[in-house]
Amino acid sequence: MTEGTVRASSRASSRSGRSRRKKKNQIPIAIVIFLVIAGIGVWLGLKQDTLLLYWLIGLAFGFTLQRSRFCFTASMRDPYLTKSTSITRAVLIAFAITSIAFTAIKYGYFINGLAIPGQGYVVPISIATAIGACMFGIGMVIAGGCASGTLMRIGEGFWMQVISLFFFIVGSLWGAHDFGWWKRTFMLKAPKVFLPDHLGWLGGLAANLLIIAVLYVIAHKWEKKNSDELSH
Amino acid sequence: MAKEVELDCLGEACPVPLIKTEKALEELEVGDTLIVLIDHSCAMKNVPEWARKQGHEVELEEVDDGEWECFIEKMK
Amino acid sequence: MKAFFDKIKNNDFYKMWFKDALPYVTGAVLLSVFQVVTFATTGNPWGVSGVFANWGAWLFELVGGSVDKWFYFSSPGAQATLNAGFLNHPGTWRNLGIIAGALFAAMMASGFKIKKIKSYKQVVAAALGGLLMGYGARIAFGCNIGALFSGIASLSLSGWVFAAFMFVGAIIGSKLLVKYFM
Repeated sequence: MTEGTVRASSRASSRSGRSRRKKKNQIPIAIVIFLVIAGIGVWLGLKQDTLLLYWLIGLAFGFTLQRSRFCFTASMRDPYLTKSTSITRAVLIAFAITSIAFTAIKYGYFINGLAIPGQGYVVPISIATAIGACMFGIGMVIAGGCASGTLMRIGEGFWMQVISLFFFIVGSLWGAHDFGWWKRTFMLKAPKVFLPDHLGWLGGLAANLLIIAVLYVIAHKWEKKNSDELSH
Repeated sequence: MAKEVELDCLGEACPVPLIKTEKALEELEVGDTLIVLIDHSCAMKNVPEWARKQGHEVELEEVDDGEWECFIEKMK
Repeated sequence: MKAFFDKIKNNDFYKMWFKDALPYVTGAVLLSVFQVVTFATTGNPWGVSGVFANWGAWLFELVGGSVDKWFYFSSPGAQATLNAGFLNHPGTWRNLGIIAGALFAAMMASGFKIKKIKSYKQVVAAALGGLLMGYGARIAFGCNIGALFSGIASLSLSGWVFAAFMFVGAIIGSKLLVKYFM
């Protein structure tokens, strides 16, 4: 049986019984799962619209992550470990698209004299940011998945990520417990830097896109240097 | 005489299948074939992609639900 | 019945939309679309790890603990969220949705398989990695989604600072992985 990017090989039939194992068709199970998902959606919708919205958004993200094998962990790990930057470049494209769209939305509120949404995600920059990000980077590579990746892989059937999630929760609680100390020690005078505040709306967006473009070129050259052909 | 070597990566976490594939391929000679057994969705994409970029002949076959065999013929 | 499902397997649109892996760039574009949908409809960008802190708090309360005196949970908003409970927390349903969406996607492609733990090393790696991610995400105000993806999209310099140090961490993690966990 041939499917898309997967080609049948004549060698396969001479291999062990593995190749001749009868494959189940899981589509019927998928349909049952779909009905359960829809049922949960209806129940949530009856409780509160917001819950249904978040459920749908989560489903969209989960479906997309699994279908494209998208992995933020790989985007940071592969340039070093396997010299591949295809996911890195895809992540940069996502940064570029969302930068433009988010800026447009924020500007729209600003220009109408309304409070800019999402500013809670412009957070203080301090030593805690550096240490925390580094810890996260180490952890995601060792655990075989970042935050979104862990959830995605649980859906794919990996027991390892169930363990990872449990300890992620424990670590989060621990971090929340210590947060007060980190705040008192490092964050009281830590600056929040919203690029448009310093460079203007256009300047802020341009700076973001410039950084993305430079990183893209570096990623492209890095992979080219280390392989025969480039896959886009 | 070109040989076929099997590399079992079932149950391995990302990016272990790819790292093991790289190391195993180094030990083979040109003309040999490495058969990598994979059940990780990331690996069924990044192992063939890496091998092709290195200039090898690659074929990927789905052998069971969530299980693939990646045939890599060392070309250089 | 079986013939019907087998027919689906050979359908071109099935293969395109449900079977073959999508290119990374397609994934990037779709994720961006959904990020924008999130921002436009909820007023905030996508976040994943903040929810885990709440899950931890609820679990802690289940075994008799209390987080009410912690600075992290002291704000009125945080208290309200905790009091409303797990089932009423929107972020919880978004995270559960990711699991469900991925499960559906895998099953629909007939690619779902339970992958059991292969070795003791994997357990240690998962545990250590999870702890580092959980703790790191709290003090850095987020994970690869909230601090990195959403931070950069929000034109916050913190996003880039997070990216730089996350990259450093990834290199360290890679060395540890190869040395101790393979």
